[in-house]
Amino acid sequence: MSNAAKKINLNLKVWRQKNAEDKGYFDVYKAEGIDQDASFLEMLDVVNEGLSKQGKDPIAFDHDCREGICGMCGAVVNGHAHGPKAKTTLCQLHMRTFSNGQTLVIEPFRSRALPVQKDLIVDRSAFDRVIASGGFISVRTGSVQDANNIPVEKKSADLAFDAASCIGCAACVAACPNASAMLFVSAKVSHLALLPQGQPERSRRVLGMVEQMDTEGFGNCSNEYQCEAACPKGISVQNIARMNRDYAHARFTSED
Amino acid sequence: MLKKYLSSSIGKKQIVALTGLAMVLFLLAHLAGNLLIFKGADAYNAYAAALKEFGALLWVARLGLIAMFFIHFVFIFLLVKQNRQARGVQYSEPLHANTRSLSTKLMPVSGTILLAYIITHLMDFTFTHSNIANATVCGDYLGLYGLVVNHFSNPFGSLWYVIAMFAVGFHLTHAVQSVAQTFGWNNSKYTPFIKKTSVVVGIGIAAGFAAVPIYVFFLACGTSSCTLG
Repeated sequence: MSNAAKKINLNLKVWRQKNAEDKGYFDVYKAEGIDQDASFLEMLDVVNEGLSKQGKDPIAFDHDCREGICGMCGAVVNGHAHGPKAKTTLCQLHMRTFSNGQTLVIEPFRSRALPVQKDLIVDRSAFDRVIASGGFISVRTGSVQDANNIPVEKKSADLAFDAASCIGCAACVAACPNASAMLFVSAKVSHLALLPQGQPERSRRVLGMVEQMDTEGFGNCSNEYQCEAACPKGISVQNIARMNRDYAHARFTSED
Repeated sequence: MLKKYLSSSIGKKQIVALTGLAMVLFLLAHLAGNLLIFKGADAYNAYAAALKEFGALLWVARLGLIAMFFIHFVFIFLLVKQNRQARGVQYSEPLHANTRSLSTKLMPVSGTILLAYIITHLMDFTFTHSNIANATVCGDYLGLYGLVVNHFSNPFGSLWYVIAMFAVGFHLTHAVQSVAQTFGWNNSKYTPFIKKTSVVVGIGIAAGFAAVPIYVFFLACGTSSCTLG
C-alpha cells in the first residue's frame, strides 16, 4: 500500500439547475489537490466544501450507500453514464481513473421521463410507478415457508438473481440513444418471470409494466446495447429479448 | 388487444421487424432473378416474361410488398418521433459510443437512402418499359436486358445503384439480428450465429445486387458493349 496517494487537479464543467422549472447552465469549477484514492463523490464533497465556505450553493447530487448497491448516485461524466469505468457506479469510481489536469464534463442523466430536480439529481419516480404497475408478487403473509419447498432449477435461479441485481439507477436510460428504459423494465420483469413464484401474475406483470413504461414517455429500444455497456451491474440485454417475447405472448394469449 | 399491442413500444417494434423480414425475403427472391443476367439476355428476359404471366397474382404480391413497405415506414416514423421526444435536453458531451457500430448509427441514413433509391428504381425499371430507343444495344433490341445494360452503362446510374446497395448492406447487417432480438430470440447458444448470419445476409445481398452494375459497367461496357447479347 502506498502511504501517500497522489494528488491531482481537475477542471470541472458541471450542470447547475436550481429546480425542475429552471433552464439550467454549465458552470466551471476547479477541483484542486484531489486524492487519487478518493471516490468521485468524495471529490464532489471536497469541491462542495470549498463552495460552501465561499457562501455559494454546493453542487447537489444524489447518494446513499456509496457502496455501489443502492442505485441512488449517478451522473454522466464525459459522455459515460457513471463515468468511464465499466460495471462501476459513480460512488465506486475512483479518481485514479482520471489524470492530472483533465477536464470533466458532469451532467445529470437526461430523459424526459426522469426530470432533473436540481443540478445532478433526477426524479426517478417513473421507475417506482413502473414497479407499482406489476413488478411484484402477491403472496400470503404469515409464517415462513419451508426452505426448498419450491424447486428452482439452478440455471433459472442464477439468471433470476442476475436480473434481480438491477439497482434501478437509470444508467441504462441515460446511456440509451433513445432514452429507453427497456433494460430496467426487462430486468424487473425477468427476475420474477424466471421463478415459480412469479408465474401466476406473469402476463399481468409484463403487460402492466410495459404499458406504464410507455406512458412515462421513455423512448423505444433500437437494439444498440448501450444500456448493457453502461449498466453498473452488467444486466444482460437477453432480459430485453425475454420481455419482448413475454409481452407478445401475454398480449395475444392472456385475458388480462 | 391489437390496438394496445400496436400502440405499445414492443408491438410497434415487432411490426417493424416483421415487415422488414418480409422485405428481406422479397430481396432474396429479387436477387435470384437479377443474377440471371449473367446467363444472358434470353434467360433474363424469359424470367421477366414468366413473372408477368402471373397477371393478377403478381399484383397481389406487389400490393403486399407496398403494404409491407408503408407499414415499416410508418411505424419507424412513430418510433423515431417518440425517441426524439424521450431525451428532452440533449447532452453537451456526445454519449460515448460503447457498442454502437457503424451500421446501427447509420440506420436512419441508410433507410433514407433506400427510400430515395426505391423511388428512382421504380421510375427506372418498373414504370419505364423497354422500347427500341432505350433497350437497343449495338443495334440489337434486347428488351428488359437491354434496358438494364443501357442504364448501367451510364456511370451515374451504376454509382447510385451501388451506393444504394451499400445502404442495403449496412441496413441489413443491423436489421436481421435485430429481428431476432425483438422477437425475443437471444441466448448465448444461438446469438453469435444470428449475428454472423446478419452480417452475411447484409454483405451477401449488397454484393449480389451490386455485382450486376459492376459487371455491366466494367466488364461488359469497358471493352465493347457489342460483346453482350
